[in-house]
Amino acid sequence: MLVHRRTKRGKLAITFVAAAALAINALPAHAFTAYKVDGVTPSTITLGITSPLTGAAAPGYNKVPYAMQAYFNYVNDNGGVNGRKIKLIIKDDAYNPVLSKSVTNDLVLQSKVFAIVGSLGTASNEATTRFINDHGVPRLFINTGYSGFATAAKYPTTYAVLPSYVMEAKIMGQYIKDNFAGKSVAIIYQDDDFGADALKGFATAGTKFLVKIPYASGSQADPTVVGKWISGLAQLKPDVTIMFGVSSATAAALGGAYKAGFKTQWILGSVGGDGTTIATVAGPTAVGLLYGAIGASFLPAPTDTTDPYIAQFQAINTKYNAGVTFDNNVLQGMNTAMLTVEALRAAGTNLTRANLLKGIAKSGSTFASAGFAPLGYSATSHVGYNGYWFGTYGPTGAIKPIGGAYTLYTTDSGTGAVTQTVSKRPAMPAKGLPNN
Amino acid sequence: MLRRRLSPLQRAGFLALVGIVLLVASRFIGELRDYQGAQVAVYIIAISSITLLTGYSGQISLGHGAVMAIGGYGAALSFSLWQFPFVIAILFGILVGTIAGFVLGVAAARLSGPYLAGTTLALAVGLPTIADQFKVLGGEQGLNFDIGDAPSWVRKLGGSEFTQYKWFFWIAVIAALISLWAITNLLHSNYGRNWRAARNNAVAASLAGINVARGKILAFTVSSALASLAGALFGLLLGIVTPTAFPLSLSFAIVTGAVLAGVSNLAGSIVGAVVLVAIPEVSGALATHLGGSQKVTANLPGLVTSLLLILVVLFMPHGLRVRRFKRVKNLIRTK
Amino acid sequence: MFIDTLLIGISSGAIYSLMSLALVLVWRSTRVVNFAQSGQAVLSTYIGYEITAKTHNYWVSLPLAILCGALIGSLVDLLFMRLLSKRVKSGPISEIAPVIATLGLLGLIQSVIGLIWGNAFLQYPSPLSAKGFTFGSHTIPFSPQNLFIVLASAVVLAIFGVIFRFTNLGLALRASSFAPEIAQLAGIRVSRVRNIGWSFAGAAGAVAGAVITPTSTLSPNSLDLLFVSGFIAAVIGGLDSLVGAVVGGLVLGVSFSFILQYISSSVTFLAGFIILMIVLLVRPRGIFGKRVGRNA
Repeated sequence: MLVHRRTKRGKLAITFVAAAALAINALPAHAFTAYKVDGVTPSTITLGITSPLTGAAAPGYNKVPYAMQAYFNYVNDNGGVNGRKIKLIIKDDAYNPVLSKSVTNDLVLQSKVFAIVGSLGTASNEATTRFINDHGVPRLFINTGYSGFATAAKYPTTYAVLPSYVMEAKIMGQYIKDNFAGKSVAIIYQDDDFGADALKGFATAGTKFLVKIPYASGSQADPTVVGKWISGLAQLKPDVTIMFGVSSATAAALGGAYKAGFKTQWILGSVGGDGTTIATVAGPTAVGLLYGAIGASFLPAPTDTTDPYIAQFQAINTKYNAGVTFDNNVLQGMNTAMLTVEALRAAGTNLTRANLLKGIAKSGSTFASAGFAPLGYSATSHVGYNGYWFGTYGPTGAIKPIGGAYTLYTTDSGTGAVTQTVSKRPAMPAKGLPNN
Repeated sequence: MLRRRLSPLQRAGFLALVGIVLLVASRFIGELRDYQGAQVAVYIIAISSITLLTGYSGQISLGHGAVMAIGGYGAALSFSLWQFPFVIAILFGILVGTIAGFVLGVAAARLSGPYLAGTTLALAVGLPTIADQFKVLGGEQGLNFDIGDAPSWVRKLGGSEFTQYKWFFWIAVIAALISLWAITNLLHSNYGRNWRAARNNAVAASLAGINVARGKILAFTVSSALASLAGALFGLLLGIVTPTAFPLSLSFAIVTGAVLAGVSNLAGSIVGAVVLVAIPEVSGALATHLGGSQKVTANLPGLVTSLLLILVVLFMPHGLRVRRFKRVKNLIRTK
Repeated sequence: MFIDTLLIGISSGAIYSLMSLALVLVWRSTRVVNFAQSGQAVLSTYIGYEITAKTHNYWVSLPLAILCGALIGSLVDLLFMRLLSKRVKSGPISEIAPVIATLGLLGLIQSVIGLIWGNAFLQYPSPLSAKGFTFGSHTIPFSPQNLFIVLASAVVLAIFGVIFRFTNLGLALRASSFAPEIAQLAGIRVSRVRNIGWSFAGAAGAVAGAVITPTSTLSPNSLDLLFVSGFIAAVIGGLDSLVGAVVGGLVLGVSFSFILQYISSSVTFLAGFIILMIVLLVRPRGIFGKRVGRNA
């Protein structure tokens, strides 16, 4: 009998120990905060970013947060923002929205960041939206091309920066209409929302396809898949082939076409069309395959050292991010960081979240950045860059604007028209230090 | 070993008491811990689904993340498409998951050890790709499962600043306690005894008139019901369900939790769940504290977690459970 | 078209076979599914990468990488699995503890790789052309590199076949996996033989990593999916059978190839699951698995 009672008591005790463990885990993290505004002190501004640093999605993308950090350190060494130094807390989410949400909770509730900047991934940002909205945390310049995030009503504190995939496809459709009228067109696209958005854009632009080839994300690593794309294309012989996928898929498609001796006029989407990234993903020899292809971009080529922004960013990279190859990821990171500094400056000396958001709405469209396309920020719009220029790839994989000048096509993510303009990019502030 | 059993009603009373204590205690905890507490509760359910399957019925699944996905998608689909109230949506998720679990269980009952592990592993890798095939499943962006704030009567009950995360904590804690109650009752029933008998010696059990195959199918089905509940709550906590939320690593994580818990120990699932939530936190904090280059900060958490895992399996193969009481018990018995 | 698809299928099937063979070798000797196998393979591939970076010669790095793979396999057994099998003996835990332990080891290896080489895409180039063979005007998507993959796998498989069938070592390997106690009594040093099994497995994984990586890129996670395919292949073939491992790999490779060609690229792993289910419903222990009277 004694044994039985002990057992029962033991069981009870175990449960209570466990419950206590849960309760200890549940103790408040910070009893009080020292300053009125989270993440801002007279001498510092703390920002946070979630991004894949480990796991299958990490290579490439993991350079973005550190490039941002390098640029912030450069600004800090030159006086910071209104005397405040920027500290960036980088959290790994391994491209898993569950982790994104946990680490975003940590950033906002425990590290008390002032704002989230440059977070990567559609699903990851979607998962934290409700929390970000409830807490009114500014979420700036997120690294995804999903057009939905620019909807100010649903995402009041979120600012997109990349042009949406819909915009890109619409613009590409218009470009084809203007330059390849009457030619047959094929497309290879990623079989998810990335591709679905693209097809939507092409449908709006009225592009008719001879054949549409979807591929599952990740399957481009399999030579069998690539062989199938190319054999399909080789039979139909389209004049123009659009490659709307990630860098590794672009490299695989170009490689496959080369192997099979299949010739077409390639048009590459901006996501997968960066020569430097292709060189990293598929080896230096793959770059030669880009020769003659047409590509779309809104930034200058990362190899174009005649561009003042690129030259400045490369110098910062050499000093503050030593040993890291300057590619599109680094360029994106530095550019985003520069926009962030301008946004912080636009908020004025009384740095609050409300003032930050107001500042972007008021003067965001005039921020200086490396992008050739204008920024669409206003009181009602959270759309970032809204245009592309087209260029051809040289034998070294560097893209040069067609005809020498950056001819820009701009549009929206809806049914609005595509207009053609000449780029008027704001001049780079001295030494790449914002002075707005 | 003889054990005096609590009646189901007594157990319910005890768990209700624990529940009330936790919910009252939740007044005094911050939002961050609310969310982590809710995560712990969800992991308790997920881990106990493995405990039930592996510890009590002797089957292995490396694909319970996929079953969780079925539950999550079932709940989110009925919530966002047919506007079911969230409780009904969760029940619908469980229903879908249970049916899938039954079908899997029928196949699984024929397979042993690594063959079952391989099959379920293939499922865990293959299933999430379905989401991209059907527009109704929302693709990469997933399906919305934002249940909003707690109804006003709960907010009145819970006190001021009743955030969404506190609401999640309440929902998850209540669901976990109901699940634990149901599992203990089941394990103390004839079914539970039959499972253990079949696990310990299948031949002897079948000679004693126990239908081993049917028992295994039932165990897989019940386990899937629990996993799909966990999956539905997982989606609820996240606010969306997406394919990337249910990766292979999730399947591995819950099996890890079960091993940390000492696989045939239901109370241990609580410890396992706390550890699963705490490990990334602790190793992340450690990495930040130590600092260092980009390579170090990115990889140190993974290194620490893996090392801990290996050490626990090597040196505490029966889990992190509290062993003192067992010793006391043995002491009494030898006298 | 049919021939193209078949050739591509054989090329990827050969790689699956190697990974599957590694898993089977370990399973036979230790009754453990080694989830760290892809980690060991990727580590030896990184070593091969480092050697190529120093010597600029793929043909120097290849045998050294294989040697390292064997060494890593042997070390994992000595430092890790021995301890595990000593401590975890019975109960339901003994079935899943090794899974978790080897997963922990996988995480450890990948973190260490990340610490040393970083989480970036690296190039491990081979001197062989990736341009497909041309017959008249028709270029097939099967290159000298693909041919090398198939030949290298065939050579490895043949060497293992000879060892297992015609040498004393092979006999010892077979005996100690069939009945370890009896083998021990017969004077076979089971633990040493088991260690040799682990190093063979490590070598097979290293070959897979070193010949497939030049066709894509090297990163800490780059062989993860290969492990999944290898495991599915091993289960299809029957975990106890070396012939089964090879057949399973080829079946899976060719099936994937035809599914890609004629159905869709998005469903390959789901198809893998379905193929596995069909095979196992007919033969619950794989195509070449032994029937066992009782499994309690």
